[in-house]
Amino acid sequence: MQIPTGKALARQIEELSGQVVSDCYQCGCCTAGCPIGEDMDPPPSKAIRLLQLDRADELLKSSGIWMCASCLVCGTRCPRAVDYARIAEACRAIILRSRQSKVDPDTVTAPELEEIPQQAFIASFRKFSV
Amino acid sequence: MKYVYYPGCTLYTKAKSLDACARKAAARVGFELEEMPSWNCCGAIYNTGSDDLAAQVGPVRNLAKASQLGEKLVTLCAACHNVLKRVDDRLYAQGNEVERDRLIAFVDEKYERRVQVMHYLEVLKNDIGFDKVKEKVTKPLAGLKVASYYGCLMVRPKEVLQFDDPENPQVMDDLMRALGAEPTAFDFKAECCGGYLVVNRRDVAANASKRIIDNARARGAEAIVTTCPLCQYNLDKLRAVTSDAVPMFYFTQLLGLAVGLAPEELGFDVNSFDPVPFLKAKGLL
Amino acid sequence: MDEPVAATPRHRPRVGVFVCHCGINIAGVVKIPELMERVRRMSGVAVVKDYKYTCSDPGQQMIRDAIKDDKLERVVVACCSPTLHETTFRNACAEAGLNPYLCEIANIREHCAWVTADKDEATTKAEGIVSTVLRKAEADQPLEAVTVPITKRALVIGAGIAGIQSALDIANAGYEVVLVEKEPSIGGHMAQLSETFPTLDCSQCILTPRTVETGRHPKIKLLTYSEVESVSGYVGNFKVKIRRKARYVDFNACTGCGLCMEKCPGRAESSFERGMAKRKAIYRLLPQAVPNRPVIDANSCTYLTKGKCGVCAKICPTQAIRYDDQDTFVEEEVGAIVMATGYELLDAKKLGSYGVGTVPDVIDGLAFERLLSASGPTSGEVKRPSDGKTPKKVVFVQCAGSRDSTQGMPYCSKICCMYTAKQAILYRHRVHDGEATICYIDVRTPGKGFEEFYKRATDDGINYLRGKVSKIFRQGDKVVVWASDTLAGRKVELEADLVVLATAVIANPEGVALARKLKTQIDTHGFMTEAHPKLRPVETLTAGFFLAGCGQGPKDIPETVAQASAAAAKVLAMFGSTKLTHSPTVAVVDEEICVGCGNCERTCAYEAVKVDEKRGIAVVNAALCEGCGACAMSCPSGAMNHKNFTKKAIFEMADQF
Repeated sequence: MQIPTGKALARQIEELSGQVVSDCYQCGCCTAGCPIGEDMDPPPSKAIRLLQLDRADELLKSSGIWMCASCLVCGTRCPRAVDYARIAEACRAIILRSRQSKVDPDTVTAPELEEIPQQAFIASFRKFSV
Repeated sequence: MKYVYYPGCTLYTKAKSLDACARKAAARVGFELEEMPSWNCCGAIYNTGSDDLAAQVGPVRNLAKASQLGEKLVTLCAACHNVLKRVDDRLYAQGNEVERDRLIAFVDEKYERRVQVMHYLEVLKNDIGFDKVKEKVTKPLAGLKVASYYGCLMVRPKEVLQFDDPENPQVMDDLMRALGAEPTAFDFKAECCGGYLVVNRRDVAANASKRIIDNARARGAEAIVTTCPLCQYNLDKLRAVTSDAVPMFYFTQLLGLAVGLAPEELGFDVNSFDPVPFLKAKGLL
Repeated sequence: MDEPVAATPRHRPRVGVFVCHCGINIAGVVKIPELMERVRRMSGVAVVKDYKYTCSDPGQQMIRDAIKDDKLERVVVACCSPTLHETTFRNACAEAGLNPYLCEIANIREHCAWVTADKDEATTKAEGIVSTVLRKAEADQPLEAVTVPITKRALVIGAGIAGIQSALDIANAGYEVVLVEKEPSIGGHMAQLSETFPTLDCSQCILTPRTVETGRHPKIKLLTYSEVESVSGYVGNFKVKIRRKARYVDFNACTGCGLCMEKCPGRAESSFERGMAKRKAIYRLLPQAVPNRPVIDANSCTYLTKGKCGVCAKICPTQAIRYDDQDTFVEEEVGAIVMATGYELLDAKKLGSYGVGTVPDVIDGLAFERLLSASGPTSGEVKRPSDGKTPKKVVFVQCAGSRDSTQGMPYCSKICCMYTAKQAILYRHRVHDGEATICYIDVRTPGKGFEEFYKRATDDGINYLRGKVSKIFRQGDKVVVWASDTLAGRKVELEADLVVLATAVIANPEGVALARKLKTQIDTHGFMTEAHPKLRPVETLTAGFFLAGCGQGPKDIPETVAQASAAAAKVLAMFGSTKLTHSPTVAVVDEEICVGCGNCERTCAYEAVKVDEKRGIAVVNAALCEGCGACAMSCPSGAMNHKNFTKKAIFEMADQF
């Protein structure tokens, strides 16, 4: 599947996520509460800003959207009820549907496979692999 | 009272002893978990894509299978509970009738009725009642300062799970109190442990988990209790194991201990270090 | 009263129809010449004229001239909504000698031109509207406005700065004011403040001249520790029942010496100190209390709860303690009521992730004011609640519950940006090596000197960090704040000794309860609703009730004082006339038909119609009746009718279609 660009991309992200990006008034609470916030680039509020500024193409190339743990703190505390986790998932879905994986199951080592609970693998591959 | 039980992948294999412990504890408290046959993956973690019907199929099949067997579906894992309940909520959301009909028609199991998805903790709280649980306690966990770690999937999204207050949940603390322990208040009860990021970014998950443990310890906790096998792993196994590390328990381990199960029945093989010396020192064994 | 000029077959009243273009508002959609042609052909129409802006002076003159020249007996103006110019045109008719209630408005703007796209459809609809109003006008009878007497005394509910200002303005104009306050003394929240923005005036210093003046004003009857129980009657003629709560101290015998307060062993949480200190069971709110008389809080008094102690009675030099005191009730008659019930701050415990209640060093804005205040629990030294140490790092959190549609209030609380800047400046005045960080979303500085005040804060080295705080928790003896720097695009973790939350301003819940009791309008957030948001900000839709202060919406002191004086001006305007007039298009009972079933009484929302038990018929109080027509519709016998909205007239209007 071709990845759309520009306004079409922004529209698809909004449709897939069900979020109205213009509702965000850039307060930064999502970034402040994200447990991964220090390691996410761009962090949630900045990611939404990219969408607001019609720079969704840049967002899709970023590493931040692959750092979301879907813990939902961002959407729960947002004063405008904008859920960044769904937006990140929509961005990832668009890339995954173009048959591009982020996490390659083949790179998991045997010891890891032995030790890590399989629900972690299932969840990780569901979110990051294709 | 028999409940249709959904173990999920991890409790069925790597954490099998926790599953066994949970069933034995249930029997002592007064209910039975009957595993549903031919269940499939619960579908963790819930997919939020508005058009992602394929990801709903697996969970819907589980719900359909469960509906043939009873009215309530009990899980022991916060992740399974989260995804099954959210799928069920989406299935019955207003305006989703077409989607629901398609999914139900698609799965190869007959969908008899809407099933109530419950976590084991909800069974203890709502169906049994913590007072009754307290009555079954033969070895109260007296003097055990334990911090209840719920994890994110147990309490969010609030409107769907309707489990407890996401900022300061109390249900497991109440259970600990009923078991005779002293629940420790702390500030990271429902903050994420890093979850599935442990697969590709172990360092990030380790950081997130460390923050939780540090805060619990700073507030005086001697032990931490969890409700999800993945949280249990992240908190327990990602830290540098030191001699004064706090023991990490799965909630059914403490429940089992309090209602009189023997140490061999409590699945301590899952814990990163043997908690028996700690429990003996506290006079609980 | 004039002879009714009825629309009988013998004589049809001569109706003049005036079609307004309203610029292009109407003329841009309705085809005016076409409309006029069709109206000209309607029976009963004596003359049809049009004008571009009929509400203007020449437009009105045109109507006045036509009344005289064409001997018009009814006037229909086809124009905008009657809420805008019905009074204008009725006055014009009155000036030309035509009874104003024989003038009707046909709304062809809001009801037609503004909501119809197709011009032909609009023209036909306008024709229909005019023809129905024509029938109404023909059926109209000349009416005289109802007059009611006025009791020229005012009631002001709430003695914060708003109530005080209104009371003083009315009293200084020579009228008596009953000022009711539920606390033992007056001054409201302004008495709790340390200094006020942007001048950094000492709050007490500017407030006490007003409170003292109020306390000793010969025309102000001050009833403190009292609450309004009920209000009956109608504008100009209210009867108010007031509960005077038991003080357990004889007001006249007490000299305010304060000996009782020194010795009292009882303790309770002081609401005035906002949780920063406790008070005695016998207490006054502040040293400068007006009136300077303590009260006993029965719940924390050992004598009143357990029968032990009694120290205050023993020690009082004038034997002013009265343990057997009871609540008493008084009734006052007033003509106007000003509601000045003020605000509260959102209970910060509702903001679950901010640690309020579990972390002692997280407090709200008013609590911090008490720490800053010279007469406060720490004598103005900034000390944190947990260990009394001086905080070296203070984080101020803005928008704690404001602008939040999910957990708090969706609106902006208006005053917090300014008072937080003020608090940070004052903190730095007291603690020279202290560090202040303000976490904000926007900084709103709309008033005079406000932007300059904000610059003063940043000049002083106060750090403004743009990002709404997500979580606050404890770590050892520090308070950790999870904030963000949206301008740099990253998450920030701050460590503080003390955190001050600028929590949302909400309507005082007791004011909300009172409004519900008195049936005055409040909005979804509990703030009192003004009659028109732009043009009538101090009146309500309930005649005789006026608004002042934060009870109507969050605002700062200068706006509160201005609004309070405005409300007083409205009251004085009412008192300035000898009688009040009220619209005469009210309900009227045909006494021959009425059987006194009481349906109308049960239907009426204004308590304007009651069944007279002795006479067995319904009686309408024309002064209270707002002419809604509900009673006429609910009357099973047809005895109830509505002046100039008779059932006959309405059927004739409906017949036009």
